Amino acid sequence: MNIADVIEKDLIKVPLESTDKLGIITELVDVLAKAKNYSAEQRKTVLDAVLKREELGSTGIGKGICIPHAKTNSVKAIRLVIGISRVSVDFGSPDGEKSRMFFLVLAPEDAASAHVELLASIARTCSSPLFRRLLEQAKQADEVYRLFMD
Amino acid sequence: MGVPFRTIVVYVDGSEGALSAIMYAILLAKQNQARLVAAAVVNTKALGELVRAGIFVDVEREEYQRDLQSDSERYLRHAERLAKQKDVPIETVKLEGTVNVEMMNLLKDRHADLFVLGGVSDVRSRREELASETDRMMRVAPCPVLVVRDDEDIWEAFESQGV
Repeated sequence: MNIADVIEKDLIKVPLESTDKLGIITELVDVLAKAKNYSAEQRKTVLDAVLKREELGSTGIGKGICIPHAKTNSVKAIRLVIGISRVSVDFGSPDGEKSRMFFLVLAPEDAASAHVELLASIARTCSSPLFRRLLEQAKQADEVYRLFMD
Repeated sequence: MGVPFRTIVVYVDGSEGALSAIMYAILLAKQNQARLVAAAVVNTKALGELVRAGIFVDVEREEYQRDLQSDSERYLRHAERLAKQKDVPIETVKLEGTVNVEMMNLLKDRHADLFVLGGVSDVRSRREELASETDRMMRVAPCPVLVVRDDEDIWEAFESQGV
């Protein structure tokens, strides 16, 4: 399981409009809920799962990247939502740097292997400074999609 | 290394492609009267990467490690059930570590003369192709590799061929 297996153009939003951590997470969940026609209850369960995970510790990993994630059976398959913000948002990353690139990863509870592989794939891909610069500068969802598929 | 195959190793990871691979390997083992080994790898390398990258906190690492263990056991139990349906003896092996390294060691250790795997998706990204575990396993395998496409024909053949 890697990014190319799950990336979907309608699950990419550029730019994100929120300017704080809660807003960004909610906006990413809403992108998914809208694209997949989630019920209000489904949306809430997903959002709660992500926020509950966030309580354990920030998912800001530094270098401007955040990977909020959660296990929840409200999703039937692994979902990846990507958002790029024009404003830097404080996610409490260990390097103190504010974040502009966000990857929301959700997986059903019985898909641990695929979940771990996808998270590792994101971490690996974003370890390249050049890639991060290109991603941060992307102006549209199409551009983000092409960056991952080239 | 011999033809017909004497020892067939199949990699299982819970994907649909891997399910096709198990079925194919079982049919192949039966036809060749070969020894069949199914292996799953708890990907502790990926887990380690996530901890190092700061994506997982300690409590999550422990939780996911348990999840990965139970996933692997579930995949192997399923392989056993399928093999039993066709009355094919099967050895199941659960490994931990870097997938391609562990599989390469197993293939050598068991003197495998065929490695069967599925889960090869279309190449859509060069970036990902280079990092794909399946791609690495194919490159490092010390024996012939059979890549099984996820195909309904295999499922039909498995269902239709009698014991």
